[in-house]
Amino acid sequence: MSATKNSNAESDIQLKKNILGRLAGFFGSVKLAVSVLSFIACTSVLGTTIKQNGSEEDYLSLYSETTLKIIDFFGLSDVYHAPWFVAAIILFAINLVVCTSTRFFRKWKKPGHVRLPDEKTLYSMGLSFTVKKNREDAISLISKRFGRKIYEGEDGLILEKGLYSRYGIFCIHISILIVLIGSLIGIIWGYRGFVVLQRGDVKDRFVLRGRQPREVPLGFAIKCRDFNISLYPNGSPRDYVTSLEVIEKQGVLFKKDVRVNSPLSHRGIQIYQASYGLLPSFSFKIDGRDVKLKEQDEYEEDGFIMVVTRFEKTIHNFGPGVQVAFLEDGKPKTTWFLRDIPEMKQRDLGNKRVVLEDIKEDLWTGLEVSYDPGIIFVWTGFALMFIGLYIHFFVVSGRVYIRKLSDCIIVAGIGTRQMDRFKSAFERIKRRLNGAYPS
Amino acid sequence: MGLIHHKILGLVTILYLLLFFLHLIYFVFKKNGIKKTVWIGIYVSLCLHTAGIILRWVDSYRLNIGHAPFSNYYESLIFFSWCICFIIVVMRKILIYPAITTLGVLGALILMGYASLSPGVDKNIQPLIPALQSNWLHIHVITCFISYAAFIVSFICGILYFIGFKWAMLPDKGTLVEINYKSVMVGFPMLSAGILTGAVWAHYAWGSYWSWDPKETWSLITWIIYALFLHARFIRGWGGKKIAIISIIGFFSVMFTYFGVNFILSGLHSYAI
Repeated sequence: MSATKNSNAESDIQLKKNILGRLAGFFGSVKLAVSVLSFIACTSVLGTTIKQNGSEEDYLSLYSETTLKIIDFFGLSDVYHAPWFVAAIILFAINLVVCTSTRFFRKWKKPGHVRLPDEKTLYSMGLSFTVKKNREDAISLISKRFGRKIYEGEDGLILEKGLYSRYGIFCIHISILIVLIGSLIGIIWGYRGFVVLQRGDVKDRFVLRGRQPREVPLGFAIKCRDFNISLYPNGSPRDYVTSLEVIEKQGVLFKKDVRVNSPLSHRGIQIYQASYGLLPSFSFKIDGRDVKLKEQDEYEEDGFIMVVTRFEKTIHNFGPGVQVAFLEDGKPKTTWFLRDIPEMKQRDLGNKRVVLEDIKEDLWTGLEVSYDPGIIFVWTGFALMFIGLYIHFFVVSGRVYIRKLSDCIIVAGIGTRQMDRFKSAFERIKRRLNGAYPS
Repeated sequence: MGLIHHKILGLVTILYLLLFFLHLIYFVFKKNGIKKTVWIGIYVSLCLHTAGIILRWVDSYRLNIGHAPFSNYYESLIFFSWCICFIIVVMRKILIYPAITTLGVLGALILMGYASLSPGVDKNIQPLIPALQSNWLHIHVITCFISYAAFIVSFICGILYFIGFKWAMLPDKGTLVEINYKSVMVGFPMLSAGILTGAVWAHYAWGSYWSWDPKETWSLITWIIYALFLHARFIRGWGGKKIAIISIIGFFSVMFTYFGVNFILSGLHSYAI
């Protein structure tokens, strides 16, 4: 009984192993990697040819309604965040994990017993020579040039160069995973937004980007001390600088000039110079009282309501003008004020005397706000990838065998990576030692 | 005076043209002396080309807008061409087949010719716009263009693989696959480095290391294609023909990443590099 039970359990384990093995075989296969990567590459092309994240009007002006339905159905208006695209990346990540763990950990094992090949085999290697004089000097020179001794005996020695280069590929694959993890963390816990400031403005909130943009607290306050644009003599932009002050509860913490390639970093939040523009403001005198309004601002005083609706830089060569809406006898009306034409500077609106004193255009600076807790993983992944790329593609590796014979030593080598460079290093040492071709 | 770099680069263009014809003469007479002359010519061209770029760099300081000549379309074309010549010299030990160097030199010639003759290409030194004022510019541009140049060698091997007739000047298919593979072994790590440095730079300039900008996306597509190239040999039955096809597809992807994105798609990379 117990025997059959045991064998049942064993066969169960066997079966499980089989299924697991097959699953690992499928998910870790190079074919899957090639298919998924090809899929990601092809669909990425769609993302660069179909307009991304546009409004419905944008799409209707570009495509027919049927095409738009197809675009909406497959989520082609935001390819890189579409469920199937994310699924492909996840499948790719699984593929990487399985592939790396099954294939590369095998390599991790130390090379087992190494044997010094016999004379004949050494002579048959592509690279070999013999040395008769000063054998000990030759051995010490070769040992110095060709790395680590992995075997030393009466009959000779084996040297290995760049053994670690086989782990380069491991580094590269792991680094991709780390970058993917970092980007996932960024997508889940990171955020992006923007803040617009004018000279002197202090703000502790910013507009969070998303489906419905909203204002949220920044966690600290920033003050725009100054914003400057400098130009080259030919008129092209040279520098955009926003001088910021970071203010915490205890007061001003530090000052920083934010430039295009030099963001401010505080409490993990980065603030970038992103855009700038001009914001008009209008100085009115309403019944002798000074009032400063911006576009869309409303002014109300004992029943009189006035809204600034539109600004034009020039109206028929008459200079800047502003359109104002107001209520007269309960009916909405609009009228234009022109700054540079005296008779169009002042009007009686209802029972009020309104004079447009001046129009000023003030600079504003647009700062991008971003928080990405995954960035440390991304940088780690990048560093590891650089190391991996260097090790895998540029490190020379190979083995050198030295066999001591009664009248000479035979030196032979096999390159395993960067064979050309291994060969030339080998030839150099051969020339140096006046090595003879094996007879 | 300051325009000496234009003259030197013009001379370099003529040198590439002469080198191309010298190759053709070699194909007819098959004299070893001509081959040697070709190589001397390649070295001289590379030196002059380097001198031209350096003088342009120096000249930008004379104009008080000093910056490395990697900032506009003209400069990128000139540098692309330089990279092709550079890669030929770096890989000189395996590029011993004139069929490959002919096409390489032709590539360098086309880029130089286009840069200096096309009226649409502004040849003046322009000041560096704020977005490009970063130390990442140099390493990013250098790594990207060296990878492009290496991929051009790979493309040449891919094309030669499909030449149907036997010709003494043509390396055999096995050698072509090997050279192709070696050029991707240079191009792939360089492209990876280019993308990574670009991502780091983007983080400091735009606030995001990856924003699916068309240039970024196309460089990723190119990267994937050459990653597939490197993995192809692990798949049973994928021989030289598939590898050659991938290297040709890869080339078109490189060309689209460089030219296509600039002219057809708009995005953050609007400085024509």
